[in-house]
Amino acid sequence: MIHDSLIRERLVTGDKSAADVTRDISRPILNQPSSAWKVGFTLSIVFLAIFGISLFYTLWTGIGVWNINKSVMWGWDITNFVFWVGIGHAGTLISAVLLLFRQKWRMSINRSAEAMTIFAVICAAMFPVFHMGRVWVGYWALPLPNAFGSLWVNYNSPLLWDVFAISTYFSVSLLFWYIGLIPDIATIRDKVKTKTAKYWYNFFAMGWTGSTRTWARYELVSLILAGLSTPLVLSVHTIVSTDFATSVIPGWHTTIFPPYFVAGAIFSGFGMVATLLVVARKVMNYENYITIGHLEAMTKIIMVTGTLVGIAYITEFFIAWYSGVPEEQYAFLNRAFGPYWWAYWSMMSCNLIAPQVFWFKWARTTPWFIFIMSIVVNVGMWFERFVIIVTSLHRDYLPSSWVMYAGSLTEIGLFLGTFGIFFTCFFLFAKFLPVINMAEVKSILRNRE
Amino acid sequence: MAILDKNLSLRNRNKILVGVWEDEDALVDAAHALVDKGIHIHDIYTPYPVHGLDRIIGVKRSKLARVAFLCGLTGLILMVTMIWYMYVIDWPINIGNKPVRFTPSWIPVMFEGTVLCTAYGMGFFFFWRNRMLFAVKNDLLDDRQTDDRLVVAIETVEGMNEAEVVELMKSKGAVETKEFQAVCK
Repeated sequence: MIHDSLIRERLVTGDKSAADVTRDISRPILNQPSSAWKVGFTLSIVFLAIFGISLFYTLWTGIGVWNINKSVMWGWDITNFVFWVGIGHAGTLISAVLLLFRQKWRMSINRSAEAMTIFAVICAAMFPVFHMGRVWVGYWALPLPNAFGSLWVNYNSPLLWDVFAISTYFSVSLLFWYIGLIPDIATIRDKVKTKTAKYWYNFFAMGWTGSTRTWARYELVSLILAGLSTPLVLSVHTIVSTDFATSVIPGWHTTIFPPYFVAGAIFSGFGMVATLLVVARKVMNYENYITIGHLEAMTKIIMVTGTLVGIAYITEFFIAWYSGVPEEQYAFLNRAFGPYWWAYWSMMSCNLIAPQVFWFKWARTTPWFIFIMSIVVNVGMWFERFVIIVTSLHRDYLPSSWVMYAGSLTEIGLFLGTFGIFFTCFFLFAKFLPVINMAEVKSILRNRE
Repeated sequence: MAILDKNLSLRNRNKILVGVWEDEDALVDAAHALVDKGIHIHDIYTPYPVHGLDRIIGVKRSKLARVAFLCGLTGLILMVTMIWYMYVIDWPINIGNKPVRFTPSWIPVMFEGTVLCTAYGMGFFFFWRNRMLFAVKNDLLDDRQTDDRLVVAIETVEGMNEAEVVELMKSKGAVETKEFQAVCK
C-alpha cells in the first residue's frame, strides 16, 4: 500500500489536482500571448537583428573585422563558445544526473533546462563555425571522402573531438527533450481548438495515448538515455577543456582542466537556469510548481560548484608555483596582476566569493536576490573563459609577440546577438510548448514515499 | 518477434468495455480485483506513469535495454572501422613518428559515436515498437485520458458476463463506464 509522506515537504504546493496542472501549464499555449511575452519577444528579435547585422558584416568583409590577431587568435569568439556550451550543461545535468539520483524536485524544472541546453548549444556552435572565416567550407571538419588527396580529418586533434562531441551532445539532448515532450504534446493536442494547432500537435504527438505498455517502455528509454547522457555531458566539457589542455601554452597546459571545466559548466548552467526560472515562475504564475524549495536546491548546487571552481583557481595558481616552470609562473602572476587584472578579479569575486552568500538561508530563499546572483554567476563565468583564453595568449614564450586584445564592435555584437538567438528560441518555446513537464509533475502531486 | 506491438491499435477488435477512474490508488485496487477475477485487461491509459500497472496487466519486461546495447556495439564497430580505414589504411599521417594504430586519441570519437548510435538506435526501435510516427492517429477512449483521467480497457470475449464486469468496475470506484467499438477501415 502506498502512503502519503508525513515528513517530506510537498514538491508542488497549492493542493493541485492533475486537471489543475494541465490547466495551469497549458494556459500560455491555449491563450493569446501576454503583454510580458510580447515585450520580451520583441526585445529578443532586436538582439537577433544585432546578430544578423554583425554576422553579415563579418561574412561580407572578412574575419579581419574581429580584433583577433596572430598572438590572440582566440578572443571573444571562443570565450563565447565555451560560455554557451557551459550553460548548456545544466539541462542535461538536471534531467539526466538528477534522474539517476532520483531527485524528484528536478521534475518542475527539467523541461525548461533541457530546452535551454538545446538553445545554448545552437548559440555556442555559431562561434567556432564562423571563426573558421571561410564558413562555406565548414564541412571540411567532417570525415567525408574528398578530392584533396584523400586528406582525412585528424583524429589526434581535440578540435575534431569537439566536432563529434558537440554534435552528439546536441543530437542526444534533442532526442531526450523530444521524447520527454511527447506525452505533454498529446495533452495539448487534446485541448487545442483550432484546426491548424490540432494538426501540428497531433503531428508531433506521434499517436500518444498514454497506454501502460508505452509508459513502461518510455520510462525504460528515459532511464537509458539518462544513463547515456551522464557520461556524455562529462565528456563534452572534458573535450572542450582538452582544446586548451593539450596545447603547450602556459596557463592552458594543465591536467586539472577537465574536472575544473565540468564544475564550471554546471555552475554557469545553473546560473542561467536560475535567471530564467525566477522570472518565468513570476511572469507565468508558476510559483506553486517552481517553489522556493526548488530555487533553494539550485542555489545549493551553485554554491558547491562555485566553490569547486574556486578551489580549481587556487590549485592552478599553486601548481604554477610548485612546478618551477618560469613561463607557467609568469602566466599566473600576469593573470592576477598584469594588464588584465580586472578580468581576473572579476572572475574571482563573481565565481568564488559571491556564491558564498548562499550559506545564508535568506539568500537561498529570496527570489529577487537569487536573480541578481544568477546574473553575477553568468558574468563571472564569462570572465573566467576570457581570462583563460586572452591572458594566456597575449603573453607567452616570445616577448616580441606580446600584444593586447579587446573585442571589436562586431565581436561584441555577435555575443549580444547570441542572446537574441537564445531568447527568441526560449520565448517561442514558452508560447508553443509546456514549460513544465506536466506528466511527470502529475505523478508527484501525491507526495509518495 | 514482431517489433510493432499490435496491442496498441484498437482497430479490428471486439467491443471494448471502458472504465474511467479519477483516483490512482482506486485504479490500482480495481486492476488487481479485475485480474483476480480472471478478467484480462487489454490496456490501461493514464496521463502520467503509474508504476506497477504494467506488471498487473501482464506486460512483459521490455527488451529495449538489450536493443540499446546492440545499437551501441554497432556504433562502436562503425567508429573503429571508420578511423581504422581513414587513419591506418587509406592515409596514415606521420605526426612526430607517433603510432597511428589504436592510440588513446581515438577514444573520444569512438565514445561519442557509440553514444549517438545507442540513443538514436534505441529511439528508433522505441518508436517502432510503440506504433509511434509523426502524424499517426490512435483512438482515444476518453477525451481526458491525457489530462486527468485513468482509463481501463477490457476487450470482450465470448462467454464474458459483461454486466458483471461493468458492475465490478463501478463497485471499485469507476466514475464512468462505457463501450467502445472502433470503426474498421
